[in-house]
Amino acid sequence: MISRRHLLALCPSLLIAPRMSFAQAAEPGPFVSEFAQKGIVEILAAKIANAEKQTRFRAMFTNYFDLPAIGRFVLGRYTRTVKPEEMNSFSPLFEDVIVYTWSRRFSEYNGQTLKVGASTPDGDDGAIVKSTIVGNAGESFAVDWRLRKRPDGWKIVDVIVAGVSMAITYRQEYTTLIAQQGGFSGLLAQLQKQVGELKAAQPA
Amino acid sequence: MSLSSLLRISIVLLAGLSAGACATRPPATNPDAVAAYEEANDPLEPFNRAMFRTDQALDKALVRPAVKTYRFIVPDGGRRSAGNFLRNLRSPITLVHDVLQGQPNRAGITISRFFVNTFIGVLGLFDVGEEIGLPYHAEDFGQTLAVWGIGDGPFIYVPLFGPSTMRDGTGFGIDAFFVDPLAWYSRGNGAETWIQWAVLGGTYINLKDETMYATDELKASSIDYYASLRSAYRQIRASEIRNGAPPPMEDFDEFSSTFETPVLAAQAASEMPQTPLTSEH
Repeated sequence: MISRRHLLALCPSLLIAPRMSFAQAAEPGPFVSEFAQKGIVEILAAKIANAEKQTRFRAMFTNYFDLPAIGRFVLGRYTRTVKPEEMNSFSPLFEDVIVYTWSRRFSEYNGQTLKVGASTPDGDDGAIVKSTIVGNAGESFAVDWRLRKRPDGWKIVDVIVAGVSMAITYRQEYTTLIAQQGGFSGLLAQLQKQVGELKAAQPA
Repeated sequence: MSLSSLLRISIVLLAGLSAGACATRPPATNPDAVAAYEEANDPLEPFNRAMFRTDQALDKALVRPAVKTYRFIVPDGGRRSAGNFLRNLRSPITLVHDVLQGQPNRAGITISRFFVNTFIGVLGLFDVGEEIGLPYHAEDFGQTLAVWGIGDGPFIYVPLFGPSTMRDGTGFGIDAFFVDPLAWYSRGNGAETWIQWAVLGGTYINLKDETMYATDELKASSIDYYASLRSAYRQIRASEIRNGAPPPMEDFDEFSSTFETPVLAAQAASEMPQTPLTSEH
């Protein structure tokens, strides 16, 4: 039987609890499992409205991914020449593109699970975690997660699906667009248009 | 396909040819654009983009209806078996290239899979090998050339065939007509030429059926579908050549770190105009 005093003693930790849920696994493999598990339970399989799924996903995504680092990588050489105010308009647009691209497909979730495999060291204090997404008809495909250790824990910096890296694909598309549109403002205009289209394509 | 869509296709084709088939290299004063140009390695880009538009029109008019019909007639399980059968039939090509790439272990897996799937898996309809720990892999002449140190060369886009490179396109032709034992068989015996064409046709529909969801997704998530497709194609090939290992991405930390990091700070400092020493004297 837990006494009143014990319950009170629990209180401080209850107050910290919401922040504790952000404290993430210390090893790369468990970190990826945690991300997938949370994503399945709290978003994909949750019986909530799609708008709420989007909100939850955005919070989780910005927490588990190092989005600023991905943005800088995606802009590549342009990162050095882009003005700070241009970077400030790029970052939220890029976040929207990824969030709305992923959330368009949330309703298609059909019991798939993520099997986490081996992890190997990569780059500056990083790791690559291999995993397999397994569908309920036994079909599967490979997903690799590129991670970096930051002062506040592990962060995902790239997702590689069947050999295609999300970061490299965005980078090659965006550098092509900057060259084609004759500058960075052209890319921003195109991104704005795309975010509008993706928003319109969201399921109710 | 209607006459008007045929007409549209030929106009697009002509427009592409007459627009000047070569992409202009950006001036050296714009190093970012030059680097992007070299990374894309697509000197025929205007022509390729015209071919790509033709391909998209043909895809809508012919390929999509064919795949839809195929999906309507053949149920899920049947289509999976058809895919297994065609993959098994292709084993000799993979075996040749396992050997040419000096991979005896992978060659062993290819041989074991071929026997297990042919004799236990009912002529390859069932992938028994996968279930007993003999995972599928495919090799081709393009990959062998890459292992031998030959670069992929300029990007090419061929209507119906899709994205490729000079190296991979050449490799595909050599595999399909000279390495594949079915090609030898169907040419050695005049009356059986149809076998090779039937297998090529089946392989094509099966490939389109398997990849349509992924390419539709890529199209929906990109602004410039052509540029994304070019990037994805190169990445998939590079991944196959590395036999599935993740991409190295050496420059990730250089570009993704902030300007405060020592490397970039030093680089920025070295790019700053130096004060002429003479002024100090």
